[in-house]
Amino acid sequence: MQDVAVVGIGLSKHVSKRRDVNIAELVYEAVSAAYEDTGLSPHDIGAVITGNMPAFEGVNLPELWGAGHWGAYNKPLLRITTGGTTGGSVVHGAFYAVASGIFDAVIAIAFEKQSDGDTTMGLNTVALADIAPMLLYGADPTLLISMGGGAIGAVAYQATSYMKSSGCTTHHLDKVAAMCRDNAAKNPYAHLQQPGITPEEVAKTKMMEYPLRFGHCCPATDGACAMIITSGEKAKKITDCPAYIKSCTSCSDEGAVFGLYGGGTANVDPCEQEGCKIAAKKAYELAGIKDPSREIDVAEPYAPFANQLLMFYERLLLCEEGGAPAVLDSGSMYLDGDLPVCPSGGVISTNAIGASAMERVAECAMQIMGKAGEHQVKKEVHNAVAHGWGGALNLIVVAVLGDTPRG
Amino acid sequence: MNEYKEETTSIKGNWPLIHYRWKSETVKLMANFLEAFKEKKVLGLKCPCCGLVYTPPKPFCRCLCRPEEWVEVSDEGVVTTFTFSGAWSFEGMLEGEGESRIIVGVKLDGADTMFLCMLEGSDPEEVNVGMRVRIRWPEAPEGKIGDMMIVERAT
Amino acid sequence: MEKKVAVVGYAQTRYEPDSDASREILVLEVAEGALKSAGITRDDVDTVITANNDYLDGRTISNMRLVEPAGAWLKDESKVEMDGAYAALYAMMRILSGDHDVALVIGVGQASVYATYIPGIMTLDPTFDRERGLLNEVSAAALQARAYMNAYGITEEHIAEVSVKNLRNAALNPLALRQMPDLTTDEVLDSRMLYSPVRELNAFPPSDGACGVVLASADKVPGITGNPAWIRGVGFSHDSYLTERPLHKLESLKLAAESAYAMADIADPKEEIGLAEIHENFAHEELMAYEALGFCGQGKGGELMQSGATRIDGELPVNPSGGALSANAACAVGLARITEATMQVRGEAGERQVQGVTTALAHGQTGPCAQENIVFILGGE
Repeated sequence: MQDVAVVGIGLSKHVSKRRDVNIAELVYEAVSAAYEDTGLSPHDIGAVITGNMPAFEGVNLPELWGAGHWGAYNKPLLRITTGGTTGGSVVHGAFYAVASGIFDAVIAIAFEKQSDGDTTMGLNTVALADIAPMLLYGADPTLLISMGGGAIGAVAYQATSYMKSSGCTTHHLDKVAAMCRDNAAKNPYAHLQQPGITPEEVAKTKMMEYPLRFGHCCPATDGACAMIITSGEKAKKITDCPAYIKSCTSCSDEGAVFGLYGGGTANVDPCEQEGCKIAAKKAYELAGIKDPSREIDVAEPYAPFANQLLMFYERLLLCEEGGAPAVLDSGSMYLDGDLPVCPSGGVISTNAIGASAMERVAECAMQIMGKAGEHQVKKEVHNAVAHGWGGALNLIVVAVLGDTPRG
Repeated sequence: MNEYKEETTSIKGNWPLIHYRWKSETVKLMANFLEAFKEKKVLGLKCPCCGLVYTPPKPFCRCLCRPEEWVEVSDEGVVTTFTFSGAWSFEGMLEGEGESRIIVGVKLDGADTMFLCMLEGSDPEEVNVGMRVRIRWPEAPEGKIGDMMIVERAT
Repeated sequence: MEKKVAVVGYAQTRYEPDSDASREILVLEVAEGALKSAGITRDDVDTVITANNDYLDGRTISNMRLVEPAGAWLKDESKVEMDGAYAALYAMMRILSGDHDVALVIGVGQASVYATYIPGIMTLDPTFDRERGLLNEVSAAALQARAYMNAYGITEEHIAEVSVKNLRNAALNPLALRQMPDLTTDEVLDSRMLYSPVRELNAFPPSDGACGVVLASADKVPGITGNPAWIRGVGFSHDSYLTERPLHKLESLKLAAESAYAMADIADPKEEIGLAEIHENFAHEELMAYEALGFCGQGKGGELMQSGATRIDGELPVNPSGGALSANAACAVGLARITEATMQVRGEAGERQVQGVTTALAHGQTGPCAQENIVFILGGE
């Protein structure tokens, strides 16, 4: 396998409404920033891998119209879209494009322009086809809707079962939110920046859907991310410290929770997330990491809701099951801790859905390259794990990055 | 970096999902499933290859086989997850005033899957993962999915 | 490319205008079928890639409910939102990386589920073209056909001959939707006009169906089959948006073909390719493809058609399966072309078998006016 490395990253500004640009222009910001970051140009790129979650903008295959703005003219282009995991799946596509040996350099692009659509309705389009037949069988529509978890969705169910099995309390959720929003304040590309916010202030926000309060939830963001990914050989010529992508894995579980096909065993306990454990285990194996709790220096799990940060910390095998609340209490997850989590502020602070899973990888790469500025973690970063989640609680992507190639 | 420009023109459009006519096998499966409600029975559909029992029935199994054997499962089971929801309005998914509903995920004894329904007759403080519940059947079930959508605490 | 990845199994559903089966069951059928064809089980599969489109399926995250029926439970699974041939490309790249050995690739489409015109319109430039309401998949194709005809003196008769060839071939393909063994050019030219010059029999029939293939690494092939169809080369490319490119040629197909030929070490495609399965949503696209693929000179597509060379009994048969004109199940089409080419190379094409095919070309496209194209070169053992 050809070694694969991240050599450059570009991000657009992430805010709730970019009404000053359209999709193509928003993405252009990130793409041109990536080229500027590396000193490369489209001429150096062999292929474009792109994705977003198309329900929000109401455009099918937006790159058909927009990719001319992104340097894709007459280039091989591949579109990968997998819901919340899209950004990570796009990185996987780019990883394999280079690892296969077919391309030496590719650009991976992921974005979302949530303000172009209605986020809640956009999320509902995930479930409509599964809910529609239920109505045929005489299901009470208002009851069905009340099961949907409102704007939170099925995550509420994940939260309650997680809190039962791990002993996580609402105070832990408040602490997670405060930690992330405070980190985000040090990240110029984050959306919700709340420097110095306290868990007590988070606890006072409005209850959205038990047990999650407004302060525990992610925003809807417009943003784009681009990453230039090359072979290890080429990377060394472009930058002094490439961030190698050591492994990419995914593991899909049965679709869960809602609708006619919600009868999967995967959702009996929605916080079990078996797929995440399997994907993480394989990712560490391929990356040559034997004890992730010791060898991983930074983690960027995909956690749009506070409970998920703790849950996925465990499912990514960074501690034993049920152990994350205690790890949080120990201080280890903070920027100056032993294993900082979401130093970028995480998805709970910035969520342009299509881009979010890619930004987890980008943030890990930045930490390894030492380019995270004010939100650079205190400790030395040799290995990092990035993660994405989505779908019907069933899709997972994991990537392990490091400052050396896969051994 | 860029300065923000003045607001640009926004152009409206929509994705008319109403035009889609999705197909699902369960039309045939559901007929059987719903009929059993009239006798206050809950059925599950069992996979011949791996033995998993799906309630409600699912036409395909995760092991790439087609579940086909009907088995009876209990109308009693355990809560595996829950939440409290406000009253919602269909159009805008707005949280309104009104009674909070207790939504629970229930795994019936004998089934391998969970389904969402509403818990009645208990206070929110009493609800927890692991609590045992039973389907509260209507007096005369009509064979609609609503027949199994309400559960109560099982003593 | 030396023998590194091969197609070792495949399955297609019958293509129907309105299947009883749900999308999930169509996928389940080809997953079962492809694995059976390869003689392997789900346990042997390392990765699953599906091809489906949110706007075509009417479901956001269209792959999330396909995990179980695609055999992807607890597998490394992903999705491309393009024609199915791109899913095969992605699966191939995963195998070439060395991290996976066996891949299952599935493409599906159910035209009966949606009003056909909606998804194509949703690909248009939302700032301008969509509002104007003049363009859709078919009217755009009509503009392309007219540009092509004007540029090179191609006539409606030339284009009708493609329909005649393919729909007659389709009669030899038991899975095809539109089979017309006695079709004549007059009938094609009399068929209902959609957008001048594109008539109903020049355009694909929206269909329900699915297709699946199994790919395996060179290490795994011997344990699976003695008759693999090796992927010798692949190339793909993206052209500009339809109002920003010259429509009379398929530049991205030409670039894709060049890459594929280079990888497959093919210097003279017309001589070295034994058979081609082209994804022609519209009959004129096939003529344009002849030129882009180097089977004839620029502008000579009509001549090549008339020479008879691309008929099933010609020197370079094109679309013995009937092509997309006989059945178009959206994201399954390009994968079906790969499947048909595989069947030809392996000698398993039944009544539509062409004798002595050792190297075959399969093509897939995505986007209005064939904006994005991918070419596979397959070779026998």
